[in-house]
Amino acid sequence: MIEVDRLVKRFGAVTAVDGLSFTVRPGHVTGFLGPNGAGKSTTMRVILGLDAPTSGTALINRRRYDTLVRPLREVGALLDATALHGGRTARAHITSIARSNGIGRQRVTEVLQLTGLESVAGRRVAGFSLGMKQRLGLAVALLGDPPVLMFDEPVNGLDTEGIAWIRQFFKALAADGRTVLVSSHLMSEMAQTADRLIVIGRGRLLADTTTAQLTESSARKDVLVRSPRAAELAGLLTARGATLTREDDGGLAVTGLDAPAVGDLAAEHGIAVHALIPRTASLEDAYLDLTGESVDFRAGPSPDAGPSPDASPSPDASPGPEGVRAR
Amino acid sequence: MTAQVPVAVRARDVLASEWTKLRSVRSTYWTLLVAVVTPIGLSALVAVALANAPGGGAPVDPLLPGVLSQEYAVLAIGVLGVLAFSTEYSTGLIRTTFAAVPRRRAVLAAKAAVIGALALVAGELVAFVSFALVQAVLSGHHLGVSLSRPGVPGAVLASGLLLFVVATMGLGLGAIVRHTAGGIAALVGLIFLPAILGLLPAPWGGRVGRFTLLDAARQVTALHPATNLFAPAASLLVLLAWPALTLLAAALLITRRDA
Repeated sequence: MIEVDRLVKRFGAVTAVDGLSFTVRPGHVTGFLGPNGAGKSTTMRVILGLDAPTSGTALINRRRYDTLVRPLREVGALLDATALHGGRTARAHITSIARSNGIGRQRVTEVLQLTGLESVAGRRVAGFSLGMKQRLGLAVALLGDPPVLMFDEPVNGLDTEGIAWIRQFFKALAADGRTVLVSSHLMSEMAQTADRLIVIGRGRLLADTTTAQLTESSARKDVLVRSPRAAELAGLLTARGATLTREDDGGLAVTGLDAPAVGDLAAEHGIAVHALIPRTASLEDAYLDLTGESVDFRAGPSPDAGPSPDASPSPDASPGPEGVRAR
Repeated sequence: MTAQVPVAVRARDVLASEWTKLRSVRSTYWTLLVAVVTPIGLSALVAVALANAPGGGAPVDPLLPGVLSQEYAVLAIGVLGVLAFSTEYSTGLIRTTFAAVPRRRAVLAAKAAVIGALALVAGELVAFVSFALVQAVLSGHHLGVSLSRPGVPGAVLASGLLLFVVATMGLGLGAIVRHTAGGIAALVGLIFLPAILGLLPAPWGGRVGRFTLLDAARQVTALHPATNLFAPAASLLVLLAWPALTLLAAALLITRRDA
């Protein structure tokens, strides 16, 4: 379990983390979300005892990191996969870290196998691709078989196959009953990896929720209805207190009435309905709504969300694999 | 997870970790090679030059060539020390290191022990091999001394300390400055700039010079110590104070700064 309590971290005049409190529990993959510069990495560094908090606490299994006995057996972390000495071989890199916590050669070989790096264990890491470096970082995090794991932006630079692989890995770790915290600035990524979400912006907590709840709580919810007698139906709906927006293709976006009510109303008056689709804003939209005001630097329209954050029908929070490739 | 032995990361483990790091990068071998081969080769050259000096049989300290040539190994061995920390800081690897061993001073101590031991072995090797070479050259001109002469073994042993002193000082500076180039510049500055003070007119040259690292090293290793500097025993303390103070400063800073 990771407990962060009223954590504040200032760098000179800049407040990176501003009174942040949250708890990460075992058994789930918890997504740690926020725009770039929101304070995710700083929070993780404080949890690992690397940065001293200005005030507040960050505890792992109710203890401060610097009081942990053999820390690698309690927390495994991957902060920056490229933080390597390029001249060392993969095996030498892992061995040097393993030895500091009294972890033997056998375990080094095991984590190399687990992460599929056996065949390149004797190669200098300078020649590794970013994906291989991520695997190496994962191997180091797994060394002590720890109950708590933290990963900072682990999918950055991975290809589709690598993303699918690492996602499965996180799920398996959580299913084992471990505490897994994974940071990302991409909602689309977290939607498929995390069950729980901690969303921060400008160092403050914006949401501590489940992936499903976040979608649910989004303000944007409506019903798309298409009918050959749209104008007539529009009048009836307005009379019932619904608010209508006419879409470009002639469909009606209805808010204020749910889909069964719209369908019943049409049936009562014998109006044919060709489409009746309850719509919720995508998780991406919910995230953008949440973080919209807390983005430090904004380029063009929605830098992270791809060309156009489509508010198209997304019946639930399980977008297909296209969603991954598009990002 | 509570069945673990209730001891924090053990000193032996941290030493093993740092030793693994040191021997798994090529820069260790290159810097050591340069630090050993350069002074051995130079000492023989300096001895030949001295023996054939036009003055002929000038009252030169027969141990001087060995000491002088070690000064040319300072840069290489110093770089080895600086790199031990500066590469970890510049790559970000230091965060992995400190996450594995939250007692940062234990990391500093382990690096100092491992690098210090290596530099000491290299230094003594250079000292004794150089001595043998130099005396072989000088004895041909009846200028040499034997290892059995009183004061000689101690002086030769002491000359082997210079590489140890410089390597551990470089290590401390690497931890303080956290950049390779900056660390090397600081090391060169601290060792060679004060040496200029020794050239001040008497009596100031000696009064100030006796505190400098290189003059202290020469005094410790001289068969005929200079009279305007500290006695050899006090000079030995001066020599060891340089890395000691540097490492102390590093130990104070290393826990105060964010990694």
